[in-house]
Amino acid sequence: MSNPLLVFWAVFSRREPRSRPPSRVHIESSSQTSSTIFLVMRRMRAPLITLIVIFSVSVVGLTLIPGIGPDGQPARISLFESFYFMSYTATTIGFGELPWPFTPAQRLWVTFSIYLSVVGWAYAIGSVLTLLQDRSFRQALALRRFTRKVARLREPFFLMAGYGRAGELLAKDFDALGQQLVVIDDSSDRIDALELGSYHSDIPGLAADAANPHHLSAAGLDHAFCAGVLALTNDDQTNLAVTMTAALLRPDLPVVSRTISAAIGERMRAFETPSVVNPFDRFGEHLRLALNAPASYQLLTWLEAGPGAELPERGHPPTHGRWVVCGYGRFGREIVADLRAAGLEVTIIEPAEQADSEPGVVVGDASESAVLARADLASAVGLVAGTDNDTTNISMLVNARRLNPRLFLTARQNQPTSAALFEAMRVDALLVPTEVVAHEVYAQISTPMLWRFIQEMPARGDQWAADLIQRLRYNCGSELPALWKIKLDREQAPALGGWLAEGRVVLDDLLRSPEDRERRLRVVPLLLLRDGEAVLTPEGETVLASDDELLFAGQGSERRELESTLVIDSIGAYVLFDQHIPSSWVWRKLSRKNSTPSMLDDREGTTSHRG
Amino acid sequence: MNLEKVIFGFFVLLAATLNFGFFIGDIDNPDQHNIYELFAALAVSLIATVLKFGDRTQIGAVHLATSLVADLQLIAAGVVWVWAKEISAGGMTASHTASMVSLSGGALLANLVSVVLLVTETVTFHRG
Repeated sequence: MSNPLLVFWAVFSRREPRSRPPSRVHIESSSQTSSTIFLVMRRMRAPLITLIVIFSVSVVGLTLIPGIGPDGQPARISLFESFYFMSYTATTIGFGELPWPFTPAQRLWVTFSIYLSVVGWAYAIGSVLTLLQDRSFRQALALRRFTRKVARLREPFFLMAGYGRAGELLAKDFDALGQQLVVIDDSSDRIDALELGSYHSDIPGLAADAANPHHLSAAGLDHAFCAGVLALTNDDQTNLAVTMTAALLRPDLPVVSRTISAAIGERMRAFETPSVVNPFDRFGEHLRLALNAPASYQLLTWLEAGPGAELPERGHPPTHGRWVVCGYGRFGREIVADLRAAGLEVTIIEPAEQADSEPGVVVGDASESAVLARADLASAVGLVAGTDNDTTNISMLVNARRLNPRLFLTARQNQPTSAALFEAMRVDALLVPTEVVAHEVYAQISTPMLWRFIQEMPARGDQWAADLIQRLRYNCGSELPALWKIKLDREQAPALGGWLAEGRVVLDDLLRSPEDRERRLRVVPLLLLRDGEAVLTPEGETVLASDDELLFAGQGSERRELESTLVIDSIGAYVLFDQHIPSSWVWRKLSRKNSTPSMLDDREGTTSHRG
Repeated sequence: MNLEKVIFGFFVLLAATLNFGFFIGDIDNPDQHNIYELFAALAVSLIATVLKFGDRTQIGAVHLATSLVADLQLIAAGVVWVWAKEISAGGMTASHTASMVSLSGGALLANLVSVVLLVTETVTFHRG
């Protein structure tokens, strides 16, 4: 391909056209906006007509009244002069009596028309100002601006319905990853908070009900670059509506929705595509993992916390003994089921007798120490303060700690404002539902490989997790480094093409520094994905093949070094084989006999193929 | 009977008739074209335009378009008159009159289209 045009053509024809699966139904979102505009025009009719009539009458009237010209002869002023005079008089500019001083008769008429026109203007301007203040009009304008902004997006974005605590945490994580978002929330306060938030990218936000398909469509549900839908509102019904809309109109998109009700979760799962995040359910699973494998749990929470997170402390929950669970609502039920599944004995404290409560339940207000004593707290090993009231939870924790200082304390935090109180209490495990949701959604959607890793991780055992944490800390420090993936294909690793096919690329060699091959890059390979098979923390001796996908943890500078190895073939040859290939074509030709011929031929083959 | 329709029809027709009244006569004879009639035609035409605001139907859109054309032509005719009367040295010459009247002739055509639309709308209206 010596002809540059042919090269150009080859590069562009290889690009696959973005396949945009057609949404089955197109939703017209502009009708609502335009109807408001029409309403405004309709409301402007009366003031405008009043203005025209007043103007015409005053102008014509002034020309009909006889005046006296500069030469003392009777003269009427012309229509044009009259229009000019009325224009500056009515708009209160007032240049004086032009073109010549008026007679008393003319002044009489002008006085009359001044009052008339001022009333006309006041009416017209007042109407315009009222319209501008009008709530529906402003909303229509905001919707229109938002729709235009979304339509102009030219990068993949996630549609986030609900910008509460969880949404805010997620938005920060995604913004740090450079992932674009579009936000809908029904509270305009939250949208204001979004606009005030310090994000790198400009995140379009709309204050509207997300359950309305029109609003979802305006937010880019049928946009070609929409990459996923996150239903994170506090209201389960709204989340269900968003999930349904997204699953029906764009079955190709991943949908993640939050719910705290198992029944709603089931209804969401009926639409196949959505993955449902139930914070209570997940917390129960986490607690079980924490009981069985504290290091795995530590690793999981660290990876889910997003870039820059500090390594959490490793807890040591008691694995034998009896737990006391206060509050037997949705959360309590999940926890009790998980604790029992882990083989632990559980005593339940419930504020009110319930129809379906099981025997052995202690009934009473758990924040009273007498009730806690009845549950025999002294012989228990752990306590879960899981009511939906933060004050109750905290007083429960204080009482429990007084009765039995060695208790393992688990609490549920409901309000973001109580965070400081729970921190002061130094509980051993804290559930903040919004944070669980944010971390979970982040892990699921930021890169699919991380989610794969997290799913397969518990099976590898506690010791493995502890070793991996050691490795991560040694290589990347105690703050969670950025996680990034690399696919060894022609796009991302053009320099390795031929060597990969020959099976000569070993993972350990790839992770050497391009500056000094003896130095190892401070990068930890977390996952190797080949033909759908996942290998967790692949060994250093692994031989890599084409189209392998790798998930790494490491700082940005290390990432750039690795990328230069993948892209520049002379660096690749040095890093992998300690060979010095000249970068320029002439030297390459001259030094040809010095190198292994098979490799250089191969290199040239790949290079020329790339054009 | 709908009062809104009466007012609407009244102004559309009045705009057309005033425009016709101004237009008729020798095209280059200033005495046969009264400037007050042009002024009235323009004012009524503006009112008719405003009345057509905010109609979402297709026919409403065409109505608005014809009115805007008429306004534009009448304003152009008015500017020609001001130019001839106040600015140019020769006053109201035959050629100035001709261009003013022909501009208003264009407006008349637009107004006639408006009237035709109005009549069509009325004829095709079926109750029940």
